[in-house]
Amino acid sequence: MLKNYFKTAWRSIVRNKAFSLINIIGLSIGIAASLLLFIVVQYELSYDTFQPNYNRIYRVATQDKFDKDITYNSGIPVPALKALRAEFPQIQFGALQSAYGSQVTVPADKNETGNKFIEETGVFFIEPQLFDVFKYQWLTGSPASLKDPNNVVLDEKTATKYFGTWQQAIGKTVVLDNAITLKVNGILKNTPANSDLPLSVIISYVTLEKCGQSYNHFDTWNTTSSNFNIMALLPPAVKMDDVDRGLLQFSKNHYQPLQSNSIKTNFLQPLSTFHFDRRFASFGDHVTSKSTLLTLSLIGIFIILMACVNFINLATALSVNRSKEVGIRKVLGSNRSQLFGQIMSETAVIVGISILAALGITWAVLPYIKHIASIQEQLSLFTIQNLIMVVSIGIIVTLLAGLYPSLVLSKYNPITALKNKMVTAGVSGVSLRRGLVIMQFTISQVLIIATTVAISQMNFISKAELGFNKEGVLILNGKSDSISLSKQSAFKQQLLQIPGVQSVSFNNDPPSSDNLWSTNFAYNHQPDEKFQISLKFTDADYLKTFGLQLLTGRSPVESDTMREVMINETLVKKLGIKNPNEVIGKVIRIGRNQWYPVVGVVKDFKTSSLREDIKPTLITTRKTFYYCTGIKIRTQQLANTQLAIQKVWNQFYPEYAYSSQFFDENIERFYQQEEQLSLLYKIFAGLAIFISCLGLYGLVSFMAVQKTKEVGIRKVLGASIISLLQLFSKEFTILIIVSFFISVPVAWYMMHSWLNNFVYRIPLSSWFFITAIVSSIAIAWITVGYKAIKAAIANPVKALRSE
Amino acid sequence: MIKIRNLEKIYRTEEVETVALNKISIDVKEGEFVAIMGPSGCGKSTLLNILGLLDDPDNGSFLFNNIEVANFNERKRADLRKHNIGFVFQSFNLIDELTVFENVELPLIYTGVKSGDRKKRVEEVLDKMQIMHRRNHYPQQLSGGQQQRVAVARAVVNNPKLILADEPTGNLDSSNGNEVMTLLTDLNEQGTTIIMVTHSEHDARYSHRIIRMLDGQTVLENIMV
Ligand SMILES: Nc1ncnc2c1ncn2[C@@H]1O[C@H](COP(=O)(O)OP(=O)(O)OP(=O)(O)O)[C@@H](O)[C@H]1O
Ligand SMILES: [Mg+2]
Repeated sequence: MLKNYFKTAWRSIVRNKAFSLINIIGLSIGIAASLLLFIVVQYELSYDTFQPNYNRIYRVATQDKFDKDITYNSGIPVPALKALRAEFPQIQFGALQSAYGSQVTVPADKNETGNKFIEETGVFFIEPQLFDVFKYQWLTGSPASLKDPNNVVLDEKTATKYFGTWQQAIGKTVVLDNAITLKVNGILKNTPANSDLPLSVIISYVTLEKCGQSYNHFDTWNTTSSNFNIMALLPPAVKMDDVDRGLLQFSKNHYQPLQSNSIKTNFLQPLSTFHFDRRFASFGDHVTSKSTLLTLSLIGIFIILMACVNFINLATALSVNRSKEVGIRKVLGSNRSQLFGQIMSETAVIVGISILAALGITWAVLPYIKHIASIQEQLSLFTIQNLIMVVSIGIIVTLLAGLYPSLVLSKYNPITALKNKMVTAGVSGVSLRRGLVIMQFTISQVLIIATTVAISQMNFISKAELGFNKEGVLILNGKSDSISLSKQSAFKQQLLQIPGVQSVSFNNDPPSSDNLWSTNFAYNHQPDEKFQISLKFTDADYLKTFGLQLLTGRSPVESDTMREVMINETLVKKLGIKNPNEVIGKVIRIGRNQWYPVVGVVKDFKTSSLREDIKPTLITTRKTFYYCTGIKIRTQQLANTQLAIQKVWNQFYPEYAYSSQFFDENIERFYQQEEQLSLLYKIFAGLAIFISCLGLYGLVSFMAVQKTKEVGIRKVLGASIISLLQLFSKEFTILIIVSFFISVPVAWYMMHSWLNNFVYRIPLSSWFFITAIVSSIAIAWITVGYKAIKAAIANPVKALRSE
Repeated sequence: MIKIRNLEKIYRTEEVETVALNKISIDVKEGEFVAIMGPSGCGKSTLLNILGLLDDPDNGSFLFNNIEVANFNERKRADLRKHNIGFVFQSFNLIDELTVFENVELPLIYTGVKSGDRKKRVEEVLDKMQIMHRRNHYPQQLSGGQQQRVAVARAVVNNPKLILADEPTGNLDSSNGNEVMTLLTDLNEQGTTIIMVTHSEHDARYSHRIIRMLDGQTVLENIMV
């Protein structure tokens, strides 16, 4: 029986070649697209789940409640570690201090300064106890390897990078930041890529006792740095809420005596939110918000639904043609369930073919997935989870697509079916079909609107007036230890000798960055203000190098320590002062420091990404914080200039690896996730339109056959070609307009909330919506046009002969 | 009204070339009722389609009201057709999705008659064809005779000068057939020119003149008395 089903199914598919092809193309693209999205979502959700204690691991994070807002910090003051251990003895704590961007020097015979590696991720000072909380696999050594100072554990790939093989690394020494000699006495297996705590260079925590200062590791209750984290493993019976209550009391006891201008509280952040909570800094490669994952999943579901809609539409439309076959089968004794089975198996065959094609497409596209998602790892398609997913997609799609047409066809009354008078039976099918077409075009139009809005916002960002010059500025990452500092002015002089170099500025931070160094402050001998200011330490050439503009006054004079300060426009406004000239000569105190005079006001510039407001900022001098060198270079002969700069660097700092980026590239990185989302919208809007047009094309081809006679008669009666084209396009046009009105509020809500991520954003103008409807109608007309024109210009005599 | 000379129509398919009309010449005067007869495949329908400006001849001359229309383009033909010619087919050719009223209304829409006038005209014609009570029915809900009466109504609603009927009684029983023939005769008496293809000698007797065709040519013309 089943064999017979599939045999007839196959024949019917071959007979209706065009329609089968449309279905298979639509379904396979839809399934492939959804499969890709589901793989991405599943991968993101899998972050850290390999940790055996996944559900019991927490970070002790910090929040600061100010007058108006709350800031969150993944870090905690260093002394809290001892206090927590004393006050929460039932909980296991482990601490880590990150040292990202550190340089590891591997001594080498040939190269007298050794091989230098800058490690952007995975460098930590870690307590052995952390490995009670997080589990990692050890190739050799154990957490005890980290008990003594000046020991280091490497992961397999880093050990291989330094020494050729990990076995050769054991017992060798490396030098951290040209200051600390470390002995390799343990090797970890590489951390899985889906980890928010990837480890590659792990230095024993006790090493910090001697060098904490260089890594901003201060043993005081006053400082909270996101570089210092405390992780906790709760015993199975202990609840997070109970611990949080305890931490509330803990915070009162320890932070209230400090009398800061905020209320500081520690609380637990579960490991299961590490990857999704953008309020906290991450040690992993990226953070993905749950709402992004929801968007991805919804798009995946919608794309599959659209492909199913095509199937249902074409199948019900075609059923009119098949009514005769059904009638004959019924007269010959086939019953409803047999007919039902037959049509379901046809669907299953088409879905099966589509799934095979979809797997092929997915396999081919998977390597490019990193462009739409922050996934660097090569994902594999053939895993058990994916297999289960594919099979369930197959079953769901078969049911979704096949159920309705099978029910409709098997229900036919054999007499009317034989007469081929399907007018009455077709009526319900027609309204269902309209509903489904409306759904398709609603999704397409929402995606078109989303795409145009996202593209315009990203354009707006790239063209936005930043208040500084981002082009042609090279950023060198340096070190601020005393030896390097003593060479700074000579280094600068040498750089300025290079013809392509226009100016050089030492500073702690370029004008716009993700870094945040903020503090409480007081103005004009008043008590501390209720808000914090962000600090930038720069030399006198900062304005010139980055193209910042002075509003009034002047830059602070060159000095190795703090002497004078300059503030930005926003700070002036936040202090409630109208005339910037008023602040010149007044004094400001930051932290517990002394009072310094304000000598200038700088015109506002964007201090961070356009998602955020401009921060009230203070700019002053202090040589020990100049980690960063900004070099403004002429755009001609860029490569030569860069080479010359590197040569000067190696001459002055042979023990430091040279590393440089262009400032504008750094800024682009702020918007990586937005760029990806915008690309994603582009791709899926395209796919959605393609799939709906495919369906539309199928429907119109069918209509053209159905209406051959009607078109013939109308032509005989004098219908013009235009009026015949209207016959085909009118209904679709109305359906698109209806779906437009559904998509407007949906898209408006969606993109309004997306744009709200940005402080600097474009208005959601009606043009986005007009573009969507005009382009949908145009695309639909083009799709319908060919078939309709062909039908309309056919000779009516032929049409009527076909009776 | 109609004057065709040496008209040729040749159908070419991959293998065969069919001469459907072979240098045929015919005249029809205004107000005439002409029947065309002949064996199946002799070219009757082909001739009627050309006379109705649905198809164009390959050769020869066709004067319609003294205007040469043999080489008119599609648009000009359609224009001439919708104002002057009505059609009645053997298989009725009503549009299934439209009601009786809407079917009859169509030609008026295409000639741009205003909707108020349309309603009046359609009701008038339906009344005359005694099918008014079925105005809101769909074609499938009517008998063959009723359907053909609707088709005739639709053919005359525009007051065409010429009605072309291709076996109008072919699908009808004799009493329904006679009814349709009476309708055509009445129209002819009111001044409409009628050219009708038929296989029935009985129906042909309603006409003034019978043109007999064979292999795409006229072979005989009988004048009825
Ligand atoms: N589109 C066409 N392609 C090829 N040959 C055609 C076409 N239309 C008609 N013919 C041929 O032209 C000839 C005349 O056809 P026509 O339909 O005019 O005959 P008819 O006299 O109306 O016959 P019947 O009485 O059966 O309706 C036939 O041999 C037919 O096969
Ligand atoms: Mg014929």
